[in-house]
Amino acid sequence: MAAAHEHGAWKNWFEAHGPRLLLCARQWTRSLADAEDVVQEAFVRYWRHQRQLPGDPQALLVTSIRRAAIDLARRETRRTAREEKAEGGREDDGNVFDPQPGEDRERRREIESALRRLPAEQREVLVLKIWNELTFEQIAAALAIPLNTAASRYRYALAALRKELKPVCHE
Amino acid sequence: MNDSCTELETELKALRPQCPSPSLLERIGGDLAASGHETPAGHHPRYVAATNLGSWKWHGWRALGAIAAIALVAGVSWMSLSVGVRPSTVTPPVQPAANPAETPAYQPVAAANVLYDLKDEGLVYVDGTTPARRLRYRYLDTYTWKNPRNNASLKWSVPRDEIRVLPASLN
Repeated sequence: MAAAHEHGAWKNWFEAHGPRLLLCARQWTRSLADAEDVVQEAFVRYWRHQRQLPGDPQALLVTSIRRAAIDLARRETRRTAREEKAEGGREDDGNVFDPQPGEDRERRREIESALRRLPAEQREVLVLKIWNELTFEQIAAALAIPLNTAASRYRYALAALRKELKPVCHE
Repeated sequence: MNDSCTELETELKALRPQCPSPSLLERIGGDLAASGHETPAGHHPRYVAATNLGSWKWHGWRALGAIAAIALVAGVSWMSLSVGVRPSTVTPPVQPAANPAETPAYQPVAAANVLYDLKDEGLVYVDGTTPARRLRYRYLDTYTWKNPRNNASLKWSVPRDEIRVLPASLN
């Protein structure tokens, strides 16, 4: 019974937060398969050992995911094309957002494309702020950058996106 | 932040990050279901970072902590016996149990890191063509474990180097 409750608890939590964590992991990994691997490792570590720690679990997991991604990147040069053939691997179509009913598909694609063109350091701050709902203080701590740098990168990212998406905005 | 930025933020927040694949949920479930620190059944992550608290390296720290605690208790007891005790009034003291089976379980309660050095190691080329800056961050990670039964705590610090390769523009 307790095990079933435990199972339900982590699953509910992960279903609510997993998509945001995966999006975050994709900023620091080369493929969707890598992103899922680092999310798996960080989440299992969090659920087993760090759940009782004080603080915002989202911020803790973001830091943990980032470290796992950095560890993975260090090994990247030694890795082979195994990831493409990995069992259970998921095809990476480059989309990072799920389609929603009644949405403007072209607009979504355009936003995804504009996001990809952002400098990586601006994109990661934007993702942490918009979709992971972290504060600038938490972002600065997670990325080991000054608070003002986090805030300015966010502003630059928004400005760049606004510039890219402007024609559509005024339609 | 002007209105167009607020509009853009609202539009971005409305996008739903892609859900993790069902196989990721299965893999996490398999990992969490695995008892203790056994190798989880099912799909294995393609790598495990050294920072994983479930790795054998942390078993070593736990064992070392338990041995140190037992040695400390035994040492203090021996000292109290050998100093300032009159032989005529010596009564057999109650020795603290040193049974490993009764060694209390320590729980991680805090993890912190301090950045104590940051060095720009200059320009490097990723894949031989893409210019990038290589930065070395040097941290001191401090972990604290606590035994909730008797409030005993263990703390250790581990130095860690983190290398980041940031895209650089030569324009």
